Amino acid sequence: MNCEELNDLYELYALGVLDGEEKAEVDAHLARGCETCRKNLKEALAINTMLLSSAPAAVPSARLKRRVMASVGVERSGWGWAAALAAACMLVVALWLSIQERHRAGELADARRTLMQISAQRDRMLQALTFLNQPETQQVGFGRGQPIPPRGNVFVNPRSGVLLISSNLPPLDPGKIFEMWLIPKSGAPRPAGLFQPTAPGSAFHMLPGPVDVSTLGTVAVTIEPEAGSAGPTTTPIIAVPVGF
Amino acid sequence: MKLWKILPAAFACGLLQVLLRFKDDADLARRLKAREPHAMSDLYDRYGRIAFSLIYRIVRNTAAAEDLVQETFLRVWNRAQSFDPQRGSLGPWVLTVARNRAIDYLRSIDGRMSAGSLDLDRLENPALFSDFEDSALSLDRTRRLKSAFEKLSPNQRMVIELAYFEGLSQPEMAQRMKQPLGTVKTWVRSALKALREELTGVAIA
Repeated sequence: MNCEELNDLYELYALGVLDGEEKAEVDAHLARGCETCRKNLKEALAINTMLLSSAPAAVPSARLKRRVMASVGVERSGWGWAAALAAACMLVVALWLSIQERHRAGELADARRTLMQISAQRDRMLQALTFLNQPETQQVGFGRGQPIPPRGNVFVNPRSGVLLISSNLPPLDPGKIFEMWLIPKSGAPRPAGLFQPTAPGSAFHMLPGPVDVSTLGTVAVTIEPEAGSAGPTTTPIIAVPVGF
Repeated sequence: MKLWKILPAAFACGLLQVLLRFKDDADLARRLKAREPHAMSDLYDRYGRIAFSLIYRIVRNTAAAEDLVQETFLRVWNRAQSFDPQRGSLGPWVLTVARNRAIDYLRSIDGRMSAGSLDLDRLENPALFSDFEDSALSLDRTRRLKSAFEKLSPNQRMVIELAYFEGLSQPEMAQRMKQPLGTVKTWVRSALKALREELTGVAIA
């Protein structure tokens, strides 16, 4: 074919839809550096461009530009702001989660502390019951018949110790605590432990360990400063003679 | 919708403005070649919408069209090094790459992969899009093309649509239209001749 005969094929050639012998002819002309064919191909490209531009206008989504920019490794200006905003949001969320976590940890610690207190109280109750059930344990009541007395019982076991159970105790001022004393028949009182009411006005306190009942004269309770005292500093609110 | 129904409206709407932009691409092409980050943003602002419109016209699926637009711009970015900013025309190149990506996609889902993909790749060579005459994409020529297109017969318009927007070869058009190959070739040649003669007439005048 000569250039004139190929004249109607350049658009199809440029579109990539020409095949067979016709395509081979155009290829051969262009390969030879045929100036007419080169010029005709340019014209065909211009016509193709004008026809392709005729597609009805359609609008892509706003995120398409971001995708395109990201695909070539370029971020749009403004994307930095979005990233900063996202980072700030994440920081706020992290802070909030941290506060929540701390709050939950606090609640958990409180619950654990309460559980330990209840558990310790239960152990003490069991210890007291065991103590009371032992045949060697002897009981002395106090406070009966007085107008507003602390009243209750003192239990003494030579092998296991001394147990005090009392009600009608006076309220404690802040910074004060009850202290039990073992006062021998002769000699100075010995500290026998600090305790607070288990319920308003009621308490039970146990001093575990062997007790020499032959020398023990009195079991007493005074109100002392919170840290306890080496010897009684106030008048006893309970003083139970235990001469066995 | 058939091309002969939408083409006149498209000519009347955004096409003319789009063509006018093609003239001012040398600086943008130079910046693309220098791989300036903002050049890609400007390229998308200038041709993103028309590339999407063309691809969507071909594939008729928004998600696929957006994927193909992304592929188009990535390809342009990667090949901008071989584009001559002084002599090349960026717009026709971008549109050709966009059209070819979409046709390649259509062919892949139709099972029409063949040597065609290689052809499309070769026909996107940036060197082909250099040395357009200043008047090649002028407003006058666009108007003339529109006028010539409206005068085509329905069969002539159909074969143009099948070639441009479906990427069919002439034997494939014959099969699709259930017409002899010779008849289809006659419609194609006469349609393209009519379009070209209208433009040539303007050039002479």
